[in-house]
Amino acid sequence: MGNRLGQIGLATASLAFFAFIYAPLFIIIIYSFNSNPVNMMIWDHFTLEWYGGLLGLTERGPEIGDQNRALYVESTDQLIRALRTSLTVAAFTTTISTVIGTATAIAVGRYNFRMKGFYGGFLLLPMMMPDIVLGIGLLIFFVTLGMKLSVLTIIIGHCTFLTSYVFIIVQARMAGIDPALEEASADLGAGEWVTLRKVLLPQLAPGIMGGALLAFVISMDDLVITYFISGTESTTLPVFIFGMIRRGVKPEINAIATLMILASVIIAGLGLWLRSRRTD
Amino acid sequence: MRVARQSVVLAALLAPVTIFLGIFFLVPLLIIAVFSVLTPGLYGGVEWSFYHWNYGRIFGWADGFWEIYEPVYLRILGRSLSYAALTVALCLVLCYPVAFWVSRLHERLRLFFLFLVALPFFSSLIVRLYAWLLILKPSGVLNEALLALGLIREPLEILYTPAAVVLGMVYVMVPFMFLPLYAAIDNLDRALVEASMDLGANRTQTFLKVILPQTLPGIIGGSVIVFIPSVGNFIVPDVLGGAKGIMVGNLVEQQFLSARNWPFGSALSMLLMAVVLVVLLVSVGRARRIGV
Repeated sequence: MGNRLGQIGLATASLAFFAFIYAPLFIIIIYSFNSNPVNMMIWDHFTLEWYGGLLGLTERGPEIGDQNRALYVESTDQLIRALRTSLTVAAFTTTISTVIGTATAIAVGRYNFRMKGFYGGFLLLPMMMPDIVLGIGLLIFFVTLGMKLSVLTIIIGHCTFLTSYVFIIVQARMAGIDPALEEASADLGAGEWVTLRKVLLPQLAPGIMGGALLAFVISMDDLVITYFISGTESTTLPVFIFGMIRRGVKPEINAIATLMILASVIIAGLGLWLRSRRTD
Repeated sequence: MRVARQSVVLAALLAPVTIFLGIFFLVPLLIIAVFSVLTPGLYGGVEWSFYHWNYGRIFGWADGFWEIYEPVYLRILGRSLSYAALTVALCLVLCYPVAFWVSRLHERLRLFFLFLVALPFFSSLIVRLYAWLLILKPSGVLNEALLALGLIREPLEILYTPAAVVLGMVYVMVPFMFLPLYAAIDNLDRALVEASMDLGANRTQTFLKVILPQTLPGIIGGSVIVFIPSVGNFIVPDVLGGAKGIMVGNLVEQQFLSARNWPFGSALSMLLMAVVLVVLLVSVGRARRIGV
């Protein structure tokens, strides 16, 4: 009897937990369709106006006023530029950190050398370092060197910690692979490189894909490190939204946020789908 | 011949990470350490002479002329530590029962709920924080709802308070606590739990003596993963906290982007790194002792 009550209590608490996680996101989504530009919290009527304005499809209604219109139109252009910067950074970062991280994981997982333990521990440091410390360290470094803050500095900054994430994921995959196949390949006369390329890499592919996906997602979302090392002309999407929120909340942010939530659901779903295919 | 070939491949595999992290990770950290004992320049930047008062301002020695000791810095550090500890405790309390519940569901449902926990990983942190801005505002969802229900007469002042900061940190950190906890709870040896109950231990005893020790690695892991980003956080207090809620992260940010006192900002960063190092060493020590 007590057990049953406990079960019901546990289930209720758990559902409340998931409501706590998701209610805020649903509130953004609902209000992104609210036409009230003054107080977003008071429901006026359904509109796609904010989305239209965001995508440059519709002129804004007269209720906004000319003064505000300038503000909105300006931010739309900046928004698209920020999105493009984010995608560029994420694409380069993912490629570079995946290559470096995978190479390191193979070295640490397959070879015996004196510094093996050191590399395994060292690669954890960039993940464990507080974002803000890494961000300001890079900022001082670039400024001292006289490098202009740009897309390049953001890419470098992201790679410093994303390499570690890729390393961890690929190394985990590595642990589950039987080295017998590689030994067989070597016994049959294949050289070191050939064995790596034709035998090991195909088996690591799911781990590499997983690491790359994670790197892409984190790169797209990184705010703290990017905040310090992005120049005024190379703002990424999260930094741009952060700035928008700091300047004051505008109804457009709801629409941007909703689109970003949608994108994240699609990416997460894609990741899940890739995983389920792997295990089939 | 074979061995020589192997070492060439090994060198080729390790060269990129060594060069890249050596230049862009180790050197910046080294620069922070050096800058923290340099003289701040009059108009930003540094002068290359030794200067220990950057730490003096924080810990209580200062010449009282160029630099003044302000107890407020230690207070802010203490506040950051306590907010982070509170965040860890709340995440733990929230996640533990739920992780237990999820681990006992049927395969399909379990995967569904795990997906729901992991999804916020993929969605933007700033968007998730922004949602709480909408909820906690004086004219926000929470106040409108409470007013409409007649539970309060005046809007509650939650936004820009320490409570809002901790709430925001708990919200963004919850998935990081949940997954390690879930992994530990899922590995729990059910037979031991049943044996404990059969042998006459009550629920509390079983929990304290059997379940808790077995899930301790997950608790420690989750706590470290939540504590470290929380203690150095500056985004959450920036968006949801007011002037009274600033944390070490905000202080560091101010030194670099508005006060332009880089040496002092570097000294504060060194302090933050020291905190993280201590937490890591203690947790690794703990994990060793319980034999993980």
